[in-house]
Amino acid sequence: MSAATGIDPRSPRFGAGITGVLLLVVIGLAVGGAALPALILFSAITVLFAWGAFAGVQRHPYGRLYRRFVRPRVQPPSELEDPIPPTFAQGVGFAITLIGVALTLLGLPIAVPIAAGFAFIAAFLNSVFGYCLGCQIYLLLARLGVVGRNRTAAA
Amino acid sequence: MLIAAVLVGLVAVATTLGLVWRASQGRVRTASGRIDDVELGGRATLLQLSSEYCAPCRSTARVLGQISGDQLGDNDIRHIEIDIVDRPDLVSRFNVLQTPTTLILDANGTVRARIGGAVRRDHVIAELDRVLAVA
Repeated sequence: MSAATGIDPRSPRFGAGITGVLLLVVIGLAVGGAALPALILFSAITVLFAWGAFAGVQRHPYGRLYRRFVRPRVQPPSELEDPIPPTFAQGVGFAITLIGVALTLLGLPIAVPIAAGFAFIAAFLNSVFGYCLGCQIYLLLARLGVVGRNRTAAA
Repeated sequence: MLIAAVLVGLVAVATTLGLVWRASQGRVRTASGRIDDVELGGRATLLQLSSEYCAPCRSTARVLGQISGDQLGDNDIRHIEIDIVDRPDLVSRFNVLQTPTTLILDANGTVRARIGGAVRRDHVIAELDRVLAVA
């Protein structure tokens, strides 16, 4: 990674904070019986995750918000970070929320608050604690043989 | 009322998970086993298992690289970073559940300790001192 392509590590955490608040709104709406508004907002969050996952976290609208409104008001970052890990985390968020939307369209509306709950926990841990989703999920996928190179074990 | 209870409960669960996770990060645990198919350092080896999608792996590599670079002798303490997709055998043998995971090996390649998550420089140095003292 070169410094030129690095991102401010606080930017994805800022974005995860917004996502977390929106997911709480989704859950509140769903539990309160407003199923359609919950699904609409949840679908919008799904699209935003897709944006981050496929266009890269640097091009995510929350990244622009961060650069425009937060970055000028805080200290410069002490170091820049590779955008690949947070982009992977966006992909995980996209997968979870997409499953929730799909199950709802298949007639299982309870999937919205449940998927939103999981996505909220991930977003909250990322934003508040700096938890790195890719550090465990990617390893899990590699262990299950979903990702990784087809390579016979050396030992 | 129900809505508030659900939301507060969710935040409480997430906070608890976060505190437990943070407390586990960087802790040194004893470990056992032996690795003889990597190029070992003269006195100890810091074997770091990393992955591409792991931000703390970068900072850990920097800290471990500095520790090995600070040594006076040539290759006394060697830092090796291995991608988990290149050595799935190590991942399953040591039941690695997160990256970075750092294994501290003595001069013979015996695994003496492991650290899950981002390392802390002082913890690694204290553990190295212990390993080198016994060796």
